[in-house]
Amino acid sequence: MTPWISRIGQRLLLLGALTLAGGLLGATLVRFAPGYGVDERELDPGLSASSREAIRNEHRLQSGLLSFYAGYLSRAVHGDFGRSEWLDRPIAGLLKERFPVTIRSVFFGIVTAWAAALALALAALFSRGWLLDLTGTLASGFLIALPGAVVALLAMYFRAPIFVAISVVLFPKVFRYLRNLLAQAYDQPCVLAARARGIGQARLLLRHVLPLAAPPVAALLGVSISMAFGAAIPIEALCDSPGLGQLAWLAALNRDLPLIMNLTLVVTLVTVAANSAADLLHAREL
Amino acid sequence: MSTGKILRRISCGILLAVFAAGLFAGTLAHNSYARQFREAPNAAPSAQHRMGTDSLGRDLLARLAYGTRVSLLLAPAAALLATLIAGLFGGVAGLAGGWSEKVILSAADLSMALPLLFVLIALRALLPLDVSPVVSVVATFVTLGALGWPASLRVVWAAARNLRNSDCLLLARAGGCPPVRILLRHVLPNLRPVLFAQFWISIPLFILAEATLSMLGLGVMEPLPSWGNLLKGLENFSAVRANPWMLSPLLLLVIVVICFQFVLPAQEELT
Repeated sequence: MTPWISRIGQRLLLLGALTLAGGLLGATLVRFAPGYGVDERELDPGLSASSREAIRNEHRLQSGLLSFYAGYLSRAVHGDFGRSEWLDRPIAGLLKERFPVTIRSVFFGIVTAWAAALALALAALFSRGWLLDLTGTLASGFLIALPGAVVALLAMYFRAPIFVAISVVLFPKVFRYLRNLLAQAYDQPCVLAARARGIGQARLLLRHVLPLAAPPVAALLGVSISMAFGAAIPIEALCDSPGLGQLAWLAALNRDLPLIMNLTLVVTLVTVAANSAADLLHAREL
Repeated sequence: MSTGKILRRISCGILLAVFAAGLFAGTLAHNSYARQFREAPNAAPSAQHRMGTDSLGRDLLARLAYGTRVSLLLAPAAALLATLIAGLFGGVAGLAGGWSEKVILSAADLSMALPLLFVLIALRALLPLDVSPVVSVVATFVTLGALGWPASLRVVWAAARNLRNSDCLLLARAGGCPPVRILLRHVLPNLRPVLFAQFWISIPLFILAEATLSMLGLGVMEPLPSWGNLLKGLENFSAVRANPWMLSPLLLLVIVVICFQFVLPAQEELT
């Protein structure tokens, strides 16, 4: 039990360190962007010299990357994530508004992709027929060759929900790995022995094949969460869905440092947590 | 000959033909990719424009041929950069172990935790908006190469770690073989298939990433064509319905990526 707890502690530490480093990386990227700190209000001829100086002082306070980041962290502990420079709105509110939209799309996208991939992989595995295997291979080979943005356009054209587009991007990758993992497990000597004893297919799957394939399948599930978030960016941006992906795209275009930093943190936190959970599950299974 | 080998040969032939078309784009297309024939926007294929024109009256064949050159020459360059980074750091992590392994793998974990497209968008947005098309091409593919290494690093690290504990290295060390010789005669030849596979796998990924970036307006800048910004024309559904030949860049991209999948060396052949 102790090594297990120690492993959880290590993963939590890594999670914290990676989250902070991810936020710092995001802040660094945008902080050194050309044009950062330039305020168009300074061009207003109606402003007095003291007003312009006040605006410059406001930016000067945020000019040092580390001081900016340290200030941000201390405010974040108290639930204040600052304001978006581009939208002039509290970031916490924006995240609260947009996060559920993306989470819903990502969740249903993952569920749909996994259901389709699992059904096709199992059907191909148990029927051992070339037709199903070929269908799956051709479908995944074609879909994997489509850029995410093209899938987004197709979703727009057919008026499909966002989660369907995400699942179309995920399906080929999940199907390929899943089929190979299940086929490997199916060919293990213990499964062969069970088949030789005449065990029914459902029992064979639940008692022998799935437990053998479970650890790498759990790892694949963790990775697919990260892939789904990545797919959400072009899909939400092009389909005009008000989620985190669209917000990240617009924030990057508008060089909104506080917003990008917070989005980086949220996305990093979710994906690292998912990967850590999969990793722990994998370790426990082993 | 097995079906797999036949498919691989056909795919190699198609890829070579497409590469050649990109290299000899000037010979293939008689018009400039940027020249506008304003009297013929969205024109159907004709003797003058063998694949028709786009919405700005530019010759689609010329844009496709030059776009192929941009996408198919620079994606391998980006893949080479990513593989070099992965090979260097993955090799060090796998062979040296200890703290360097932990630090490098943590950096890879961090990079993998961030969705690649998110970082690409942020990085690309850092550049001034008025960069020349050539600078935008270089920036796009250097960014892809510089960020596309973490998954490859994990694979190289695993291979190098197995190698660290292998009999051949143990024998070489016991025989007093100098480190440089071990690296050149034992490590690199053993890692070469893995590096080659990672390089080959990265090319279609970078082609697809460039396409998505350019479709979001953050990749290769107009008027220089690439497969990505040619696909941007697909956003106009009514124009595509009226001029289905506008789908040709998508068709070419899909064929090339599928061919790369067939050409990819099978894992059992690498090990």
